[in-house]
Amino acid sequence: MSLINLWVKDGYLSTPDGNSIYFWGFSKSENGPAQLPGPHMVVTQGETVTVNLYNTLSEPVSISFPGQTGVTVEGQPVQPQYSAGRLVSFVNHAEPGDMVSYTFTATHPGTFIYESGTNPHVQIPMGLYGGMVVRPADYDPNVKEYKTAYGTGTDTEFDREYLLIMGEIDPDLHQAVEEGRSYLISKYMPRYWTLNGRCAPDTMLMDNMDHLPHQPYSSMIMAQPGEKVLIRYIGAGIGNHSLHPHGNHTRIVGMDGRLLRNGNVDLSYKRFTVLVGPGQTYDQIYQWDGLGYTPENPIPITLPNLRNMGIGNVGWTMWSGSPYLGVKGDIPKGVTSFNEFGEYYFMLHSHKEPQITNWGEFPGGMMTMIAIYPSLSPDVGILT
Amino acid sequence: MATVIKNLQVAAGSLSLPDKTIPFWGFANAFFGSPQTPGPLIEATVGDRLTIRLIHNNSFARIGEPISIIFPGQENVMVRKIPSGPLIPQPVQPQYAGGKMISLTNYLDENVDWLIEYSFTATKPGIYLYESGTNPEKQIQMGVYGVIVIRPSGYNTPDHPNYKTAYGAGTGSDYDVERILVIGEIDSIMHNDVEPGVYYDMLKFKPDYWVINGRSFPDTLAGDNNTSQPYGSKISCKVGQRVLLRVINAGFQNHTFYLGGFVGRVVAADSFPLMTPTLDATYEKTGVTLGSGQSFDIVFTPTTPGDFYLYDREYHHLVNNNQFPGGMMTKIEVTT
Repeated sequence: MSLINLWVKDGYLSTPDGNSIYFWGFSKSENGPAQLPGPHMVVTQGETVTVNLYNTLSEPVSISFPGQTGVTVEGQPVQPQYSAGRLVSFVNHAEPGDMVSYTFTATHPGTFIYESGTNPHVQIPMGLYGGMVVRPADYDPNVKEYKTAYGTGTDTEFDREYLLIMGEIDPDLHQAVEEGRSYLISKYMPRYWTLNGRCAPDTMLMDNMDHLPHQPYSSMIMAQPGEKVLIRYIGAGIGNHSLHPHGNHTRIVGMDGRLLRNGNVDLSYKRFTVLVGPGQTYDQIYQWDGLGYTPENPIPITLPNLRNMGIGNVGWTMWSGSPYLGVKGDIPKGVTSFNEFGEYYFMLHSHKEPQITNWGEFPGGMMTMIAIYPSLSPDVGILT
Repeated sequence: MATVIKNLQVAAGSLSLPDKTIPFWGFANAFFGSPQTPGPLIEATVGDRLTIRLIHNNSFARIGEPISIIFPGQENVMVRKIPSGPLIPQPVQPQYAGGKMISLTNYLDENVDWLIEYSFTATKPGIYLYESGTNPEKQIQMGVYGVIVIRPSGYNTPDHPNYKTAYGAGTGSDYDVERILVIGEIDSIMHNDVEPGVYYDMLKFKPDYWVINGRSFPDTLAGDNNTSQPYGSKISCKVGQRVLLRVINAGFQNHTFYLGGFVGRVVAADSFPLMTPTLDATYEKTGVTLGSGQSFDIVFTPTTPGDFYLYDREYHHLVNNNQFPGGMMTKIEVTT
């Protein structure tokens, strides 16, 4: 049995271009900061999950759990809420200053969204969403065959895992809400596109940066050559996003928290680009063993082109200066390299290029990196 | 193997949105119907010969443009036209004037013609659009679209293996409750311009209403009736029943139809069943994103009683005149 307490409160998001944006978010504790996305819920298949929602906003708030069936409040199935005959919430909500407690059994492993079910065209863009991971019943992180997304024997083993939640921000909506002004949703026009609540390049910073108290989650993906990396996508915004990792295809093994397999028929498939639709989730296995790399001959067949390494008038690069993995070499004078140990960097980004900007300025937005290290601590890429 | 004959006209009418009334164009049952959107549901069984006519309209307000019908998903559509020909059925063809294409298919010019008749054989079960092929960027958006349902043989014969299936036995499409949901969007400014003949720049297209079966929430919850938007979309079922949702996108935008927390199994895409004797490629989803003209058949089985909303997960489409709740949303009522 899992008990999760969430407080709904407000706060300010930071964007790399210096903006500070009012938002609503879930918090882990009564005195902690609201965060975007909400705290990850990690539970185990078969477990009874209780989520207590404490509402400190001045309007009703609720949580819907798409993909979880049989959600109850006070022993009764959740029901839509009305005020004077008008629909307010898809499910039971907490009035301002009040709380509501949801209970369900996590019947299926996989990746799920949780999000507000109240005034959704405002509350979800304002930040009331998060991700839930349900571990398979036989999950055991210490045994290779049992460290899986969907259970042993489902061909979903992984070495490291990362959760990326996509969103959009229209600063005008946030400012109107902050100032209590009316806002016409027909004017909705996002200016920021987020991975785990952050815009690039902040996406590449580590978890829990002091200067990003409301955006605790990194989107940096790190692995060693040949490792199976489970990448979980959630589309929490209202737009489609074409997510695309450089370096290799991904194999989609599950969608919306359901394994792509019927009996013995494997329905998983590879994609270069995954169109992440609103409210939908995608579980994928990514492996970099690219370009002829082996530990004995750690050099790619194709040498990187300097112009593609971010060197030029940008003035900085992720490149090590050497084509060999784990080796650092010279880089041109006046260029700053953010490379640590001779690791490779591959971009993972929205292929709607206007979305890899911060208010129109490239680079930014829905973009992060996949870093392939010659060796990496086993403590990296763990989801809790 | 029967012959299904449908006589249609296209006319201008008045469309009711939750907070206003706008003009629209739609198909009508010829002689005794009035224009409606979506158009009259056409039902047939595999093997049937469908004959669908557009008849010169003398009874209602004409739309003042040539009219035609295209049938996405149907093959070998034949056409004849009276009196200007072809009088003997020929394959449909795009139409040109002065070297410029003016219609995706043969059309009826009401100043000249009395009727145009399209015919084809229903070869595959499924749900299909029929829609305007002339000035389609304008006419479809004005409401000139409808649905054809093609059933497998035996679908209505108890004890037949295909009884109450969408695609026949062995396709996982058995159902107790079926509901067709045609989704789309409306730009009310466009409608107000087009009907009186004011020039409307389609590059300015910006919908402000989102519809299921031509209605915006809460009108979606009303039952079937005799209005210009005759088809309701509320669903009622009992716990444990198999509900078949047949969602088809007649609009120009993508929409993500969300199952209100339920997980449904996609049994067909664009009316191709995903389960065959050799491969079960059906899969489960909490919602499906439909591009323009696409369809999904989804089956799910509610396990608890209660009311659940089904909606476009693009939440800015759940408004009427910017106010929540509204737009592309309906409800399923589950009883014990």
